[in-house]
Amino acid sequence: MNPALLKLLDRTAPVLTLLAVLLVWEIGCRAFAVPAFVLPAPSVVVASVPSLELSTWSGHILATLQVSLIGYLVSILLAVPLAIGITGSRFLARTVLPWLIVIQSTPIVAIAPIIVVTLGAGTLPRVVITTLISFFPIVIYTASGLASVPAELIELSRSLRASRSREYWQIRLPYAIPHIFSALKVAITLAVIGAVVAEFVAAEKGLGYLILFSTSSFKIPVAFAALAILVCCSLLLYAAIVWLQQRCFPWSVIKSAD
Amino acid sequence: MHFKQSLIAGLIGLASLSAHAADKLVVQLDWLPDGDKAAAYVGVKQGFYAAENLEVTIQPGRGSSDAITKVATGAADIATGGISALMMAAAEGGIPVKAVMSVYSKQPDALFTVKGGPITSFKSVVGKTIALPPFSSSAAIWPVVLEANNIDPKSVTLLKVDPAAMAPMLAAGKVDATINWTTVAPNFEGVLKQAGKELAVLPWSAFGLDGYGLSVFASDKLIAQRPDVLKRFLRAYKKATEFAVKNPEAAAADLKSMVPEADVTAAAAAFRASVPLIQNEISAKDGLGSFEPKLLAKTWSWVAKSKDYPMDKIDPEKLVDRSFLPK
Repeated sequence: MNPALLKLLDRTAPVLTLLAVLLVWEIGCRAFAVPAFVLPAPSVVVASVPSLELSTWSGHILATLQVSLIGYLVSILLAVPLAIGITGSRFLARTVLPWLIVIQSTPIVAIAPIIVVTLGAGTLPRVVITTLISFFPIVIYTASGLASVPAELIELSRSLRASRSREYWQIRLPYAIPHIFSALKVAITLAVIGAVVAEFVAAEKGLGYLILFSTSSFKIPVAFAALAILVCCSLLLYAAIVWLQQRCFPWSVIKSAD
Repeated sequence: MHFKQSLIAGLIGLASLSAHAADKLVVQLDWLPDGDKAAAYVGVKQGFYAAENLEVTIQPGRGSSDAITKVATGAADIATGGISALMMAAAEGGIPVKAVMSVYSKQPDALFTVKGGPITSFKSVVGKTIALPPFSSSAAIWPVVLEANNIDPKSVTLLKVDPAAMAPMLAAGKVDATINWTTVAPNFEGVLKQAGKELAVLPWSAFGLDGYGLSVFASDKLIAQRPDVLKRFLRAYKKATEFAVKNPEAAAADLKSMVPEADVTAAAAAFRASVPLIQNEISAKDGLGSFEPKLLAKTWSWVAKSKDYPMDKIDPEKLVDRSFLPK
């Protein structure tokens, strides 16, 4: 094998693997005559897409993206200040942290119906569920990032009489950036899961709702198509966060644990 | 003082405005907007609500109990759902909701099995495996129906299965029968056809189960504060139901225009499957929408037996309000 071909193979490996899996799936479904209501072949899934209008698809996709992104932003706005508070104050750490762990240990899927009953049916409960599912990793990663600063740097800044806010802005936060981005990557996929969980419980639009609707009327191929689109949305959002990190904080990419 | 006066003036202005603006109502369905729910959408599309000066929002639901809870908590004004769920809610500690109109005067529960299979009647379920949806009113009432037919419920193996997995399991021969509402028969036929099988439906109403099924509920708040709005809604909803019974295809098209995920052919078939539950000898005798006291008591007796409630735990008459039905 010449090195150029090897390089090409290496670069296209993920796509080739995906194609191989789809091919095996397609051949398997045809060879064993698996009925569409058990496992539809990829070709059947693709063929089911035009059974709904393009505007219907885009409406569902936008609904899910809207809830995911709003919930995601809310969880960032909540989690980063919380992490700063926890690392900066022993009192906060002693009072808030146990509650965070309680919230994280609660299966959100189980309390989602209760949230919907309490908050009524609308976008609000869906955003709350999404936020609850995605904010915990951001708090924990950010807090550990803020705390990972070498002690001598903190001592240096204090000996130079730097204010608390400068200590955070110029030392702690830059140190935490790789950690925060690791958290943001985990959280964006969780936000999509959160939105779908919320749609399963109460919604009249969104990809999660479409999956529920299609399976209830045994249109399994449409459900699979919705699932595939959902996975693509997740991957694209993840890629967007990676791109953002490379764009704004290229120095942090090497340190960031992927 | 000036502020107070202008506030009062403003409120009076608002009140006179709202006399002309359409009254808003939120209607909570008991399940996803499949074909059997078409009547609610017919009301919007054929202008029955608008003619009564109503602006109706329809929300899909996740089961009768879910729909009743939403009305009780004020997230919706009106709901549809099985009246047995309301009876259970009342028996479990009261709920500020009343049934104001019956839609199904026959119970929709049925056994679905394969034509030419081992199950041909209720008697032949002994020793068989049957799938049923968890948390459904059918699951609760099943053992009582068996006992009424002198069959030991323990002689049947039950599998609790997600509703979406039932038709595939029946088609694959993993279970001998499933428990469903007759309205989903068309969906099952499609799945079974792919497996080269044919569906046989055994409605429980043919084996002694009698009583009201799907009904319309209203919150006590709506009854107390906007009785006139409720009256107008029921008039419109009854017209919409009658229209859908006469024109299932048009009803399915109306549903499709508001629920783009729906499939017109399947929706029309599903609604047609529900027509015998709406239009039958009972509705012909008592009129569509009525709650005849004897049949209502019978409905409660099935619920009480299925849940081991004492018969005097609730008075079913206290759960219905007949005064809003159009004459």
